[in-house]
Amino acid sequence: MEITAKNLRVSYGKTEILHGIDLKIGSGEKVFIGGSNGSGKTTLLRALAGIIPHEGEVLIDGREVSSMKRKDVARLIAIMPQTTDIYFPYTVNETVLLGTYASAGNSLFGVSAADTAYAGKCMEECGITDLKDRHLDELSGGQLQRVLLARTFAQRSPFLFLDEPGNNLDIKYKAELCDRLNLWAGSGTDGIDNTLVGVFHDLGQARRCCSRAVFLKEGQIVFDGDIIDGTTPKMLLKVYDFDVASYIDCK
Amino acid sequence: MTKRGTGLKIAISAVLCLFILILAIRSGSVYISLKDLFGIIGGHLTGKGTPSDIEPMMDSIFWTIRMPRALMAFMVGGALSVSGACMQALLQNPLASSYTLGVSSGASLGAAMVLILEISIPALAGFMLPFAGFVFGLATVVAAMLLASAIDRSISNTTVVLIGMVLSLFVNGMMNLLSTLYSDHSKQLILWMMGSFSARGWKYCAIMFPVCVAGFIVLMLMSRKLDIMSFGDLQARAMGVDAKKTKTAAILVCSLLTGVSVAFTGVIGFVDLAAPHIVRKIFGPSHRLVLPLSFIYGGAFMAACDLISRTLLSPREIPVGAVTALIGAPFFAYVFFASRRKR
Repeated sequence: MEITAKNLRVSYGKTEILHGIDLKIGSGEKVFIGGSNGSGKTTLLRALAGIIPHEGEVLIDGREVSSMKRKDVARLIAIMPQTTDIYFPYTVNETVLLGTYASAGNSLFGVSAADTAYAGKCMEECGITDLKDRHLDELSGGQLQRVLLARTFAQRSPFLFLDEPGNNLDIKYKAELCDRLNLWAGSGTDGIDNTLVGVFHDLGQARRCCSRAVFLKEGQIVFDGDIIDGTTPKMLLKVYDFDVASYIDCK
Repeated sequence: MTKRGTGLKIAISAVLCLFILILAIRSGSVYISLKDLFGIIGGHLTGKGTPSDIEPMMDSIFWTIRMPRALMAFMVGGALSVSGACMQALLQNPLASSYTLGVSSGASLGAAMVLILEISIPALAGFMLPFAGFVFGLATVVAAMLLASAIDRSISNTTVVLIGMVLSLFVNGMMNLLSTLYSDHSKQLILWMMGSFSARGWKYCAIMFPVCVAGFIVLMLMSRKLDIMSFGDLQARAMGVDAKKTKTAAILVCSLLTGVSVAFTGVIGFVDLAAPHIVRKIFGPSHRLVLPLSFIYGGAFMAACDLISRTLLSPREIPVGAVTALIGAPFFAYVFFASRRKR
């Protein structure tokens, strides 16, 4: 399986955010999307997943994403949002179960026992089993983040798009998250190699989880290649207009 | 909440709501014993006729007037509450209601035009006013949705709410203009707008019942999608729900439920906000429970309000819309703030 963007452009109102992106992501890759605030990282993730309108092409195995059924796209790509507004306080268990919607059979109201068991497994892997009856508005930022991650895993899609999954997590959970993602990325779903595409602000976490880096600057790709080459002090200076290496070394 | 706990709460709610419905049928200027009431109902349902020990006048009061009126109040309350619950999820706005898109103002304008222009279609007999109300109400919603999708391809919630408000105000303005120009009809119009279940007989129930059943079933089939839509359009799309299609379909079903209700009884507010909120406080936000329970809570609330509207200042009748607001608002405030304080 392959996702291809050709001359991808996205605008919010009259402001164009992405200015003609060309990108190809194949099965089994672990891609880090980096760049400073407002460079278009989140917009790129959303456009590749087909959840916002775009110009140009986004193709999943040659099929334009906007012409596909949403349920079919969701079976291939799961996208974890940066955060969520809580309008109605569902329980953790109810929220994670909603992730199974696209892959579940067409049962009328209920959720099958297999989906319930799978959601339970996702909660366990994200360390939130003991929170399962808590309401979303009673959780801390980090706990909510792990609920969203479990819900994304529950979608059972071979492509996982994560938008700053380490937000609000303490160092221990960040490390656990990396291990978890690496384990997941090394396996497959329905015969397709699992693929990870993640926006991270923590470069350490990006290097632990990903092998390829795509850097955006002002809506355009300025680097696409091996993450080791992408995270050299010189390249980071170019991407962020800031001496990132000295900052990390506390200089 | 455990499954057993939820089951018990549902059972208690169902019994309580049924009790209120029966109370609404029995009470008023003339009371009836439970035995006689069931005798009348059983006689009509089995086709054997009313038992001989019950006066024919009692049969006529309870079978011809009270029963359809109370059932109509119950169904309208239920329909408004279910649409309210659904609109709140779709627009991720706990204050949204089935009136947000201008159903009520459109329906009122339709009714005003029928009264003023004295239009009548013989085939519709006594249903001209509700028919016009329904057509105009639905037309306003369709216009709002078309306008919203022309302005904003993804039909975002802010666009929907704003267009609904703008269109409602515009249509209200037109109606005010009409009622000022033709002031001799304004009293009739105001009474219609304030809502009443007076003289709503079986023929009204015969239309309301299938509309309620069909609308309710369609929304129940969408209950999981509604849960997902509660997290916003972007997340809904990410999880595999076509947000635009779902929103359009659900809004049209809600408008049908609300449109028919408003057309038959006038504009009755508040129940569509209060019932879903109270149900969510007790049972949580999952629509598999929120939709059916909002129906019975909203229905029982409306039947109770109608009972009060016809008995409080008897023989005068208070508009039921005024009762829902006067009783419901403080009660709602109490429930809402009391549960907040506990947190």
